[in-house]
Amino acid sequence: MKKILKLTFILFLICAVTAGILGGVNELTYRRIDEQNRIKTVKAYSSVLPADAYDEIDFAAAGVPETINKVTIDKISKAANGSGYVVESTFSGAQGSITMACGVDNNLRCTGISIIKHSETSGLGANAASSSEVGVNFRAQFVGQDGGIALKKSGGEIDALSGATITSTAVTKAVAVAIEAVGMLG
Amino acid sequence: MNIKKQFKEGLITNNPVLVQLIGMCATMAITTTLFNGVGMGLSVLIILTCCNVVVSALRKIIPNEIRLAIFVVIIAGFVTIVDLLLQAFIPALSEALGVFIPLIVVNCIIIGRAEAFCQKNTVGASFFDGIFQGLGYTCVLIIMCVVRELLGSGRFGGGLIDIANGFRFTLDGTGGGIQIFPADYGASILNLPFGGFLTLGTLIAVMQYALKKAAKKKELAEKAAAEAAEKEVED
Repeated sequence: MKKILKLTFILFLICAVTAGILGGVNELTYRRIDEQNRIKTVKAYSSVLPADAYDEIDFAAAGVPETINKVTIDKISKAANGSGYVVESTFSGAQGSITMACGVDNNLRCTGISIIKHSETSGLGANAASSSEVGVNFRAQFVGQDGGIALKKSGGEIDALSGATITSTAVTKAVAVAIEAVGMLG
Repeated sequence: MNIKKQFKEGLITNNPVLVQLIGMCATMAITTTLFNGVGMGLSVLIILTCCNVVVSALRKIIPNEIRLAIFVVIIAGFVTIVDLLLQAFIPALSEALGVFIPLIVVNCIIIGRAEAFCQKNTVGASFFDGIFQGLGYTCVLIIMCVVRELLGSGRFGGGLIDIANGFRFTLDGTGGGIQIFPADYGASILNLPFGGFLTLGTLIAVMQYALKKAAKKKELAEKAAAEAAEKEVED
């Protein structure tokens, strides 16, 4: 009995000290982490649809379902200058889920895409998000596309990334969904 | 305490990945660009050194029955600290390594060293053990990254080196690396997870061959020395 109390006490003490230290580190870093996340989102948004500010809208109230064609819509924001909307959505890629911001203008055409988070294969699917020439060219194809967007092999205009058909298909589908969602907003 | 011996053990004769065969999951998963490899290696080195020091400092008061629970608490604490610091100050690295930073908690190198070394050795020896084992791990990661990047996509130093505007090191992971031959000619199989298995398997084989050869050489030299000594006695 005495032994078990002693063991419990030591384990408790070590856990308490660890928790205290972690609380301190969290206190020191959480503002910076929030700031980093905010900067990243703003960067992604302004690269797909330039504007000074973005106002998040309640898309569920406007009758847009949360999931369309297995693509989950996280947020829809309206550009403050009225040029269009940015749709942030999450969907499955080849390796894990992909989070993407897609700009859609008032004529229901894509103004650009930016991948915020992904875990695709480096050198193949990851090119969809990379700043390399392949990645930039891949993303540039989406600009100006309308709701009928599709990969070349399905009769559309988008060239898939070589060796990454699943990623390319997923991104293309998500862009179509983003356009559809904005269309429902009216 | 024998620093020189510990150095040799950590890097070569008792290398965590190539000889002890621990910590291989993350090794295969993240070694796709040099930036990831260096970042992961240094993160493990720092966490390993901190954990080693704390575990060996507390070794007299840690009861044997609950030592594993305590090790895990200490390791998880340091991993979380490093994870938060990376998110705050090197977000690109934190993003590239993703789930593998939190997973260092269950990386067997760290708990393995706590169990096998720090429990029985002084704080100083454990400190150097952490540094050298960490270096050994980092070296393996770097070799794997260089091989996989070069043969897989014809690049060197992805994320870490940028030559677009003159040669410079990029610490935010944006560098494109040096393209040695066009990516299309690379065996992109090496970028995939099983490319990691192939590369690691080959490295382990090379290491075992070299170690065996060195051991044999040593044996021969000892034999020759013994014969020479015998001869001297006969003379």
